Amino acid sequence: MSNAASVKNKWTWLLLTLVAIALLVFGGTRDTGPKTQSDRIDAITKVIACPTCQGESVYVSRASAAESIRAEVARQVASGQKTDDEIVAFMEARFGSRVLLVPRSTGLDALVWVLPVFALVCALGTLVFAFRRWSVSGSSTVSDADIEMVEQALRDAE
Amino acid sequence: MSDVSTDSAVARTRLAPVIASIVGVVMLAFLWVLVSADPNSSSEADSPLLGQPAPAVSTTTLDGENFVLSYRKGSWVILNFFNSTCVPCIAEHPELVAFAERESQASNPAELYTVINDDSDDAVRAFFAENGGDWQKVRDSDGSISVAFGVAKVPETWIVDPNGYVRLRVAGSITTGLLDEQLGLLKAQFGS
Amino acid sequence: MFAAGGINGALGRALLLIGIVGSLFGAIAAITSARQRDQAVAKLVPRFALLVFGASVGAFAVMERAMITRDYSLAYVQKVGSNSTPALYNFAAVWSALEGSILMWVLILAGYTLAVAYWLRKKMDDVLSRYALGVMFIVSLFFFVLSFGPANPFGSGEPGVFDGPGPNPLLQNHLLVMFHPPLLYLGYVGMTVPFAFAIAALVTGRVGEGWLLATRRWTLFAWGFLTLGIILGSWWSYEVLGWSGVWAWDPVENASLLPWITATAYIHSVLVQERRGMLRVWNLSLLVATFSLTILGTFLTRSGVLNSVHAFSESPIGPWLLAFFAVIVVVSVGLIGWRGDRLHSPGSIDSPLSREGAFLANNVLFSVFAFVVLLGTVFPLVVEALQDRTIIVGEPFFDRLTIPIGITMLTIMAIAPVLPWRKASQELLLTRLFWPAWCGVLALAGSVLVGATGFAPLLTFAMGGFAAGSALRQVVLATRRQGLRGLVGRANGGMIVHLGVIVISVALAASNSFTHSQELNLEVGKVASFSGHTFELVEVVEEKTERVFSVKARVIVDGGKAYAPAIARYLKQGMTVGTPSVRTGLASDVYLTLEPPVRPGSDTARIKVFIKPLLLWLWIGGGLMALGTVLAAFPGRRRKPTAPTSDDGIDDVLVML
Repeated sequence: MSNAASVKNKWTWLLLTLVAIALLVFGGTRDTGPKTQSDRIDAITKVIACPTCQGESVYVSRASAAESIRAEVARQVASGQKTDDEIVAFMEARFGSRVLLVPRSTGLDALVWVLPVFALVCALGTLVFAFRRWSVSGSSTVSDADIEMVEQALRDAE
Repeated sequence: MSDVSTDSAVARTRLAPVIASIVGVVMLAFLWVLVSADPNSSSEADSPLLGQPAPAVSTTTLDGENFVLSYRKGSWVILNFFNSTCVPCIAEHPELVAFAERESQASNPAELYTVINDDSDDAVRAFFAENGGDWQKVRDSDGSISVAFGVAKVPETWIVDPNGYVRLRVAGSITTGLLDEQLGLLKAQFGS
Repeated sequence: MFAAGGINGALGRALLLIGIVGSLFGAIAAITSARQRDQAVAKLVPRFALLVFGASVGAFAVMERAMITRDYSLAYVQKVGSNSTPALYNFAAVWSALEGSILMWVLILAGYTLAVAYWLRKKMDDVLSRYALGVMFIVSLFFFVLSFGPANPFGSGEPGVFDGPGPNPLLQNHLLVMFHPPLLYLGYVGMTVPFAFAIAALVTGRVGEGWLLATRRWTLFAWGFLTLGIILGSWWSYEVLGWSGVWAWDPVENASLLPWITATAYIHSVLVQERRGMLRVWNLSLLVATFSLTILGTFLTRSGVLNSVHAFSESPIGPWLLAFFAVIVVVSVGLIGWRGDRLHSPGSIDSPLSREGAFLANNVLFSVFAFVVLLGTVFPLVVEALQDRTIIVGEPFFDRLTIPIGITMLTIMAIAPVLPWRKASQELLLTRLFWPAWCGVLALAGSVLVGATGFAPLLTFAMGGFAAGSALRQVVLATRRQGLRGLVGRANGGMIVHLGVIVISVALAASNSFTHSQELNLEVGKVASFSGHTFELVEVVEEKTERVFSVKARVIVDGGKAYAPAIARYLKQGMTVGTPSVRTGLASDVYLTLEPPVRPGSDTARIKVFIKPLLLWLWIGGGLMALGTVLAAFPGRRRKPTAPTSDDGIDDVLVML
């Protein structure tokens, strides 16, 4: 491959990356107009658990308790006096923490957020550690069999 | 478990027994959690409202009168959330009838109200005509009273003290004995 | 009638007993012949498999017969049978509750055992085959005992019952109940086969790759059915549950997803073992994890410790499943600890930027994904055990953690297929990814243009386009070289599966992020509009049969056909179920539900409308995945031996392609 072609290639890549970032920033931050009340109700009921059905959100559930909560959320949204968080807090003050669908980030509950990150760090750490060891002890001589393997692999990759 | 054992695949020394033991210990702890898990754990009767002022309730009764909970201060108020098709509600009804009859003879009787949860007026009237119970039934047509108290599943019985504070929540069926006992305890503790 | 019922019960119990005895003797014959190298006994093993299979088919047929003839002398028929259930749902009623599901499990497991025995019939002189069949028999013994003991569908019921409630209403209002559970079980139970070979390999200490190549296709088979089962389950959820969603991160859904995740990880990482002889212990662990997760999932959802919308029954089988799970874990972890170092291979992976490196990254992601799903599912139990509090880990938790994982997976999916084994140069990578990257940017630009917003969905579309470009590049190169044969084989079929996954990811992102919903109070003769569609109420009608009382609102959408969302009250169970009505379209679905209160004959109705963009593509993606799996199962191109070469130009030649 010629040098000129690869330089051109690199410029195109840079351009592509910049365009992608620009599009993401533009699309990700643009204003989509005011939220409708219905959107707000959906957003709020998605994080409130239906108290009679384990694990389902009020948004999902058709149980009678869920219908009542949905109606109350709709009333409070319509009255326009409370923010979304305040409406959720109201429900927690009445039903207790069993209507919170999102675990808290304090106390023991925080573990559910911390452990996945911990697992990811451990897994990546193991991988980095493994590659270190491989690069230290990996064989540096290439046998004919190796080359054949590479060639086959390359063919297969295509 | 899974991410730990990646190690055994890549390491050169005798890692397998060590890692297997670690995984084993984690799995044992996990099994302990599963063994101690309580099947069908019952819904607790606690509520964040206990000891708090009762939510404001302003509605009408089946007979068309106004009902405002805060006007009932001075008496112990029992709210029974009810639906005429719910089986435990039907089952506990005779107990409530017996309780109401006896309570009406007391010197300072507790007031019992049925809060109609997701039911039609006619169905409730028909039910009470057939099964007795001449106390007031209050409407909760939009479900706001149920939500205000955090009622999950009928029947639920709540006790509000004469100062307007929530004192007790019983989720599920109630008996005359339980009501008497709890009311007695509460009266002794918070004054009648 | 009672005599006939007695026959069904007695016959069923007898057949289960035969199954127990057959599995027991099969296990003993397989394992003793393996230990003592006894050829004569080994020849008997496949016959036991046939006997066990016969018994399970018989038991299942007897159950169907009892259900079809409405034999109410059986407690199970009293529970899920009813004189008014239509024939099709009555047939499916057999697996609508726990006992019948376990019976189906037994049937499918016995089927797999027989298939493995038939497949191994010429290889019975191999000790590994005998151990593998022995493990199959032990697992099947457990399930036969479960079915005969605590989950017996043939127990006799109360006398004097002549009708029953029928299956749960949610299980008798959509045809998908006919297909979703059997397919899911074909996948779930199929994971027993690779597990059996993994245990056999550990016991014999046979480190070679032979057994692995042999079981790869079994795993793929089970994985394909598991995929189909999960997708049909989502479809059922969408068509029946009435909240317009396909996935709620409910314990039962998670229980089916967990083995799927680990099996998917295995399908990828096993390629590293085939090619490089590495990751043996890791692959064994994945197979063991997959099988134990099927048992754990069944325990979690069937014992009542976790409840869910899909858990249609509970019973005392919890301790049994938990004990079995404990045995599996202890035995496999013990075996891996004992044999792990012996299985270890001396190879090494040169560069993270290689096919192997991509597979490792894939496995890290899938492991973390499985961990997140498992943690979220069991965390409420942990809190309950430690602090005696009830908490809920719901959909928002899973969404927040799995969306970044999913986007990262799409990125790896874009890069991995163009990577060569061993080592890749940056130059090579940039050249091969050139057109896929264009696809990604174009997808992003297109979605911004049609108005998509939000970082997560936009990234999903971009990476989806990128990954699709990569997969298409592979397929195009392969078909250009080999014609239609370039579509079959593992690598090419795998790319079709990838395309299916990408289509599903995009459809999920679009339908979750850009759903609009609105409640409309419709009146007859007045046209309401929402989100560019018009809705006109025609009438509210009631329909009453012996089985169900339903109220339907007929609504004309966009002036065309009338759709009829309904609320149905199943009289025997006293349960009310909403039935949505969906207008399907390539661009978006219009999903209608009827909201209470309903008044038959009234000229008003409250309708909730959901506009779900691209939802149809979920099922199309599912179809692509199934198609790709079938293509991948066919043997691909034969590898011709090639002369060793030290020609450095090979990369450039390939680059030109």
